[in-house]
Amino acid sequence: MLYALMGLGLSLVTGVLNIPNFAHGALFAVGAYVLVALSGFIGGNFWIALLGAPLAAAFLGFLIEYLGIRRLYAAGHDYQLLFTFGLALIVPEVIILVWGPVGISYLPPPILRGGVDLGFTFYPKYRLFVMLAAGLLVLMTWLFLERTRYGAIMRAGIENKEMVSLLGIDVHKLFTAAFALGAYLAGIAGALTAPIRGLNPQMGGDMLGIAFVVVALGGLGNLLGAIAAGLLIGIAQAVVAAYWTEASTVVIFAVMAAVLLIRPQGLFGIR
Amino acid sequence: MRKEIVLLLISVVLLPFIVRPAIATEIWIFAMFGLGLNLLLGYTGLLSFGQATFFGSAAYVAGWLLKHYGINVLFALAVGTGVGALSAALVGYLCVQRSGLYFIMLTFALNQFFYFTAYQWTSVTGGEDGMPGIPRPSLLGLDFSKPIVYYAFVSAIFLLSLWAMKRIVEAPLGKILQAIRENEVRAAAVGYDVPRFKLAAFVIGGAFSGAAGVLYAMLFGIVPLEAIGFVFSGNVVFATLIGGSGSLYGPIIGSVVFIWLSESMSTIWARWPMLLGIAFVIVVLFLRGGVVEAWHRFSRLRA
Repeated sequence: MLYALMGLGLSLVTGVLNIPNFAHGALFAVGAYVLVALSGFIGGNFWIALLGAPLAAAFLGFLIEYLGIRRLYAAGHDYQLLFTFGLALIVPEVIILVWGPVGISYLPPPILRGGVDLGFTFYPKYRLFVMLAAGLLVLMTWLFLERTRYGAIMRAGIENKEMVSLLGIDVHKLFTAAFALGAYLAGIAGALTAPIRGLNPQMGGDMLGIAFVVVALGGLGNLLGAIAAGLLIGIAQAVVAAYWTEASTVVIFAVMAAVLLIRPQGLFGIR
Repeated sequence: MRKEIVLLLISVVLLPFIVRPAIATEIWIFAMFGLGLNLLLGYTGLLSFGQATFFGSAAYVAGWLLKHYGINVLFALAVGTGVGALSAALVGYLCVQRSGLYFIMLTFALNQFFYFTAYQWTSVTGGEDGMPGIPRPSLLGLDFSKPIVYYAFVSAIFLLSLWAMKRIVEAPLGKILQAIRENEVRAAAVGYDVPRFKLAAFVIGGAFSGAAGVLYAMLFGIVPLEAIGFVFSGNVVFATLIGGSGSLYGPIIGSVVFIWLSESMSTIWARWPMLLGIAFVIVVLFLRGGVVEAWHRFSRLRA
């Protein structure tokens, strides 16, 4: 489910803005670290921090688009890539400067510690919560894109930018909003991950590859595809991890390579 | 063109007196790496963000053979070139059907695939610690353990590969690749099998990157995990772009600037990747077009 969240955000950004966003992983890490910082700040309240962390990521995303990427739409993918890649280099270093190079572990709030007995297996409460929360977020994003006017504009932006701007819609605002929403999704995915896997400065880079795989599998700009691919990758990884732990990361990329051999356009890709 | 070659020969001779021989060697290795990327990026218009895949794979395979079987340096170089070409053929086969963003993302994702394989396969690659203990055996009585001798060897290989690359881009193949860069649809309409030529560019570019990878492994005596990581892929893209991707000499200038900058930054501050990232952002926002174009602009101002 977390992969679906990451992939959905990245798919939105790449689809609407048509840029390679290498900063997506960095925003993921920002979400996680801001969660820790906020909950330390306000007496360890997990819930307020969980609300605030993705907003911080979204705000950072807004700044990145408004101050940087906006100037680069005409510049070609190579410069857009270098810009976002540069940001992806800066963020981990800032994290190291502030929090140090060693990973941090972070406990879920007391109410979500321990496990629940599901009858057939014993499952940690927090993971269950993450699954539900991520599922709910994916659903809400989906409803937003599918059922609201703004969502319709965003989807239209993926399909045909010139047409959208001809219809009198400010594409620049649309781009900024899409980037901020993508950043929000990355940030909340990071925040939700923090209590499961802990935090380290390189967490963004590791997640970035997975997010790209999800988007490539789901088809560029295909939001439903990104959700499905995220689930597929998550399940594949979990299954392999149960039998052969070392290969659990590699399998993600192996699945991608296999799918692309058979369907070069991705599972649901049209382009 | 003559002027460039003379200038280049002078810099090859002078460089080890200006910076430490190890850094001078690294500069030419990185320039070879950049030459390989530039065939894709500059000449074919394919932004490969996974060039470290070929560099790193070649370094690991040749490094392993050097370490455990004590093979000849030239043989190691040949193996590395082959491994670079082969891994590029694999990656290229999966990627050439796609274009634009998709292409970039695929080269990157496949780079991650190789990276995590190297990361997890600790019994061979040493995982995070890298693969240490790679020897630099002598060749024909030349003692490569002396830095300056190894420098001369690397520069010779570099000049040789520059010559080869010049031949390639001036040959019909190079012209076809440029035609694909300018207008893919038209190149296909004229009758060229575009994916096949893209694949050829991949394989050749991979071969150059692979050779560079072997020289790199022998230079430092270790294959660090970073050699196959995506940051490395990004660095070479950056170096090529600051040098100017349109010209044959662009990546060479770029890697001189890049290696020199990153070496001097890394001695100043342990958090130098941050400075590097800031440099990326500044160059992209304000200095697009790279050193070569800046030079052109400057000389036009004078004229």
